[in-house]
Amino acid sequence: MSESVSDAELVERFPWVQITHDSKHHFRGWLDKRLLINRCADCGSFHHPPKPLCPECWSESLVPTEVAGSGRVHLAMHLHQGPPAPGVDYARGPHPVVSVDLDGTNGVRFSSTVVDLPVEEVVIGLPVELDWIERYGHPFPVFRKREG
Amino acid sequence: MRDEIAIVGLGSTEFRRDAGGISPAKLAAQASIAAIHDAGIAKGEIDGVVGALEPGAPRANQMSAILGLADVTHHSSPMPVAIFGLVDAMTAIFSGQCDTVLLYYAFTRAPWNSRSAAQDPFRGYLAGMMGGGLKAPPMPEWIDPASAYTAWAARYIHDYRVPRETFGRVALNMRANAARNPKAAMKTPLTMEAYLQARMIRHPLCMLDMDVPVDGADAFVLTTTEKAKKLTKSPVVVHAATAGMVGKNDEDQLPSLERHGQHVVVEALKQRSEVWIDDIDVFFPYDGFSIITLGWIENLGFAKPGQAGRWMQDNWDDARGCVMIDGRVPMNPHGGSLSEGASRGTGHLREAVTQLRGEAGDRQVPDASTALIGCGGFFFNSQGAVLKRL
Repeated sequence: MSESVSDAELVERFPWVQITHDSKHHFRGWLDKRLLINRCADCGSFHHPPKPLCPECWSESLVPTEVAGSGRVHLAMHLHQGPPAPGVDYARGPHPVVSVDLDGTNGVRFSSTVVDLPVEEVVIGLPVELDWIERYGHPFPVFRKREG
Repeated sequence: MRDEIAIVGLGSTEFRRDAGGISPAKLAAQASIAAIHDAGIAKGEIDGVVGALEPGAPRANQMSAILGLADVTHHSSPMPVAIFGLVDAMTAIFSGQCDTVLLYYAFTRAPWNSRSAAQDPFRGYLAGMMGGGLKAPPMPEWIDPASAYTAWAARYIHDYRVPRETFGRVALNMRANAARNPKAAMKTPLTMEAYLQARMIRHPLCMLDMDVPVDGADAFVLTTTEKAKKLTKSPVVVHAATAGMVGKNDEDQLPSLERHGQHVVVEALKQRSEVWIDDIDVFFPYDGFSIITLGWIENLGFAKPGQAGRWMQDNWDDARGCVMIDGRVPMNPHGGSLSEGASRGTGHLREAVTQLRGEAGDRQVPDASTALIGCGGFFFNSQGAVLKRL
């Protein structure tokens, strides 16, 4: 589906981030609700944010690879103020932001928020899974608490 | 380059929450002229210009035009923080690109960190520089250097089981010292109770864990130690200086609190310096965020990981309300970025030189001859320097 979205449209849909030829696959993945993390076809290592080549072996054979998006919270903070975004109301309470150690990616972290959980429960070590919400009419990756 | 380059001129404006109708270019020019006069040289002798890439500050070429300098053979505008510019100036002189460098920094409160600046029509253009020309503000979840320090502060609390008071003690140290510095922006006494009640910005860090935006400027004149000896009897020289970072320096991808830029700096500095932490008379850990100061205390070896709070407590001088290491060595006697003002470390560098010259007045460390600066944070701007009086 996102294959049909032109580069110009892609940039139009995510005006708040600088998209490049190196990161366009990652953001096209968002449109399909797929979290794509660059994996090196030669040495197998993952990296993020997307870079022009593999930082480990310098191979240019990178494969944007869909990951499950489960993991544990490595960093957690609660924003009492910050940039505006739909659905984020700092007056109603702090907004959690986390960096998650993604399972099966040799230590790559992905940063977003945690939804549907009281902010005081958003702490380091929390097991989470990936979900998608809508921001400005387009899919946006978030985490929610993983049960069990 | 050990001891080969000297700082022979210092110039500085006051650091104010609002400098009124003065442009950053004028502040930079005032500090630069003061530094050139202080060095006792003619402006024609300046043949190198290094100015930090601060929002609103004039670039080296603009500064050269403002001051009407003669021909210049080295100029650059390195990114903040302070030691990048210092190292660039040093290497330019040492390699013969030029003989005498004017190094300057100007700081401007910006619309995104100051309410009054947001209402200043002459600062409106700065707003566009923050977003890098993007059409919409970043998402709250986007990790930038500023928010990342908070995230790693949370990790520090988690890993080492310390209370917020550990961070508060950093803020208290800076404020008590600022009271002895006429240039400082924040001199109102601070208590731990007030720290704990201060406005939370990004939990676990509050307003008092973050440096104070100010208008102001610092400038330095550097030349060879050989030439410096003709200008002054006891020049202050750069004994060692370095930058440092790890490959994985994207803010949220950093290996850990126990492996980042500060560790690289410490290893490099230790190799290049003949003196180390037991030999110094004044200590300058960067404090753009309080967590950075805890990092320097531990990574330089004053305290074990997670023990900086305990170490500050053990070295606390109750009468002065601040750290005095072994009852002798103060930590940021000028008040640091948290209380003198957000100078990206130039305040630390200027105070180090001032102390080594014996010109620090009420806050002078008796007979100070060696200073250690741990500048910058964890990601891409960690740096360090050892300064000595010859």
